[in-house]
Amino acid sequence: MRSPLVKFAAVCTVLALTAAACGSDKKSSTAGSTGTTVKATAGSTGGSTTATGGAAKDFGGAKVLITGPERDDPSAGAINAVLQTWGKTRGLDITYAGDADWEANINTQVQGGNPPDIGIFPQPGKLAEFARAKSIKPLADNVTASIKKFWSPDYSNYANVDGVQYGVPVKTDLKSLVWYQPDKFKAKGYKVPTTFDEFTALVKKMAADGGPKPLCVGIESGTATGWPFTDWTEEMVLRQDGGDVYNQWVEHKISFNDPKIVKAMDTVLGLWSKDNVFASGGNIAATNFGDNAQALFDGKCYMHRQASFFSGFFPKGTKFADGSAGAVDVFYFPDINGDKPVLTAGTYAAGFNDKAATMAVLEYMSTADYAQKRQAEQTKLLNGGLSGFLSAAIGQDPSVYQPLEQGFLKILSESKLSRFDGSDQMPAAVGAGTFWTLGTSAVNGDLTAQKAADQIEASWPK
Amino acid sequence: MSEFTPVPTDPGPVRLEGGRPSKGIGARIYGRIARIKGPILWLIVILWSLPTFGLLASSFRSRDAQRASGWWNIFTGLNHTTLDNYRTVLNSKGTASLTDSLLNSFAIAIPATIIPIAMASFAAYAFAWIDFRGRKWLFILTVSLLAIPLQIALIPLLQLFVSGAHLSLPFIHKTITLIPDFNLAGTTTAVWLTHAGFALPFAIFLLHNYISGLPKDLFEAARIDGADHFTIFWRLVLPLSVPVLAAFAIFQFMWTWNDYLVANTMVGSNPDAVPTTIRIANLAGDFGRNEFLLPSAAFVQAFVPILVFFILQRYFVRGLLAGSVKG
Repeated sequence: MRSPLVKFAAVCTVLALTAAACGSDKKSSTAGSTGTTVKATAGSTGGSTTATGGAAKDFGGAKVLITGPERDDPSAGAINAVLQTWGKTRGLDITYAGDADWEANINTQVQGGNPPDIGIFPQPGKLAEFARAKSIKPLADNVTASIKKFWSPDYSNYANVDGVQYGVPVKTDLKSLVWYQPDKFKAKGYKVPTTFDEFTALVKKMAADGGPKPLCVGIESGTATGWPFTDWTEEMVLRQDGGDVYNQWVEHKISFNDPKIVKAMDTVLGLWSKDNVFASGGNIAATNFGDNAQALFDGKCYMHRQASFFSGFFPKGTKFADGSAGAVDVFYFPDINGDKPVLTAGTYAAGFNDKAATMAVLEYMSTADYAQKRQAEQTKLLNGGLSGFLSAAIGQDPSVYQPLEQGFLKILSESKLSRFDGSDQMPAAVGAGTFWTLGTSAVNGDLTAQKAADQIEASWPK
Repeated sequence: MSEFTPVPTDPGPVRLEGGRPSKGIGARIYGRIARIKGPILWLIVILWSLPTFGLLASSFRSRDAQRASGWWNIFTGLNHTTLDNYRTVLNSKGTASLTDSLLNSFAIAIPATIIPIAMASFAAYAFAWIDFRGRKWLFILTVSLLAIPLQIALIPLLQLFVSGAHLSLPFIHKTITLIPDFNLAGTTTAVWLTHAGFALPFAIFLLHNYISGLPKDLFEAARIDGADHFTIFWRLVLPLSVPVLAAFAIFQFMWTWNDYLVANTMVGSNPDAVPTTIRIANLAGDFGRNEFLLPSAAFVQAFVPILVFFILQRYFVRGLLAGSVKG
């Protein structure tokens, strides 16, 4: 009877000691670090009245914690590396942490009184919500001045809530791109379309020729299944009806089942007919949007409309835009009315407090220097691959971007009409809810575009 | 202790094997289930473990192979297998490393298992064998705490960890600090404190039911021999309760090791204190670019509970024997 008891007690003691060791280690390090934060904050707030100007100033080791949804190796690694290098020159200890469920967790953290110093918002709608609830602070004057210097209002305005600037644009995704393989086009004598009519004619011709399908489409993306469909619809609204209708639609000044919107949805569904689409998962809704990179690379389809970050999904060693056999390139998703509209998305950094250190970091994140350093670092982390990062900040050195990425920047700068991803601006119940789910039903053929639009309209929060 | 005469233990109701025709719907269903043929059971076992096996197979395949074809292709091309995924996940220097978070998971799961067991076994003994006033009502109160879901207490608890609890008195403008600010937000301590607290009602309930079922004569004999409560608890109750302690330890360890919600709330945005579950959730990356690492990460995460299960399993069996053969 005794020996098992002794053994059990011994195991318990060993485990308890291990636990105590781990626990105390963690705790002491955190306690130490919070101590410095408090001290440094006191120092920096004291000095903030004297040195709000751009002059380099030492924050004496103040800690700044940034969180956001970007959590990839190259992205998170590059943000950390760039900010930490810069922070060292200012006596700032900056950490970036990515979080898969950032949009949900940030609510808990704000309610619990434990938010980070800076959050990177992927959706302007969410940022506006937080601004109106006074959870995030308006930017200091030096930060807004820096934004004016480096960003066109086309981008910064989305983080302007009721006339007050709350967010710093830090990243731009260009969505109006079609990925293709030039040598496959050449072999069949296809030409890159420059108008939308040419695009539809090309799709028709490819379908009639047999062989690979014209388009690869997949809209599966876990709980966000359906978002590529919302992107396509937005592209069509922007092309068919222009920027004003687009704004009215996003702001719900025209209803969701307006004939114009239904027509845009119908155009998309028409292009996505069985003859036109290859979907590796059997049907569009069951195919992960990322899996199509492999299909395009394998020559199962000719074209794939997807955003600039899509480069990361191609198999290792894929060549981009260098003229070699099998290289992948992009062309601009052509327009109808000659205004070259682009659909963009992006992220915005905002401060949960207005400490001088927080604002100093936000000021730096708005600069072209931050964007190009991050791009260079991210390319380095990927051993020279396409970074997937893009920034529309003015004054970047274009040579940090690779030829294909420079093409993205050219498309961005040539466009006269730029609009932010509409579903990200709509209320979450629609933009991250019914627009995805009912859109998926329409793609599956369970609903007509009209019926789907009617039901989405009914779900719009009153 | 070895002086008293052995007490014949109650053998319990004896099952009559086919003695009389079984009556009642329960007995009939039981009979049907018991007669299911072995091969059918094996089929079900295979069906159930197939997804796990697929995950295991995928964990040895490269990113491009995972994207291009299903896991069953591992049988046709064993030369495509690779250990790279495990290397990436276990490499302590890489950004996709799980090693730090594994330590955090231990720092959470071990105290969150030991503390409730220690406290609950004392409490269960007291509830079962010490006759103090209000014992029954206190026990009812403790057990009724089982009905409180952990989720509703998460944010209040987080606020408590962030800023303590303060009571401001009206009229005299005075604030009394009930619980000071221990600055626990974003630490593993906050996580295991929460786990330990919420495990107590169930632990007390489970251990009480076991400990109160020990034969009363044993305790009387021990008292006659001059043992006090602590001696009885330490030399008699604990050794006899090893099986139930081990059972609870297995449950509690697995629950805390696999927990995502509590850790996610309490650790919040502190990247240095996240356990493996949260690390794995973030591993896939933006738009699932690194999804190919998930199968191997899942097996690294699952390895520890399996190990704990097999280690404690031994105590399970030995404890049962120790209980039946008087020492």
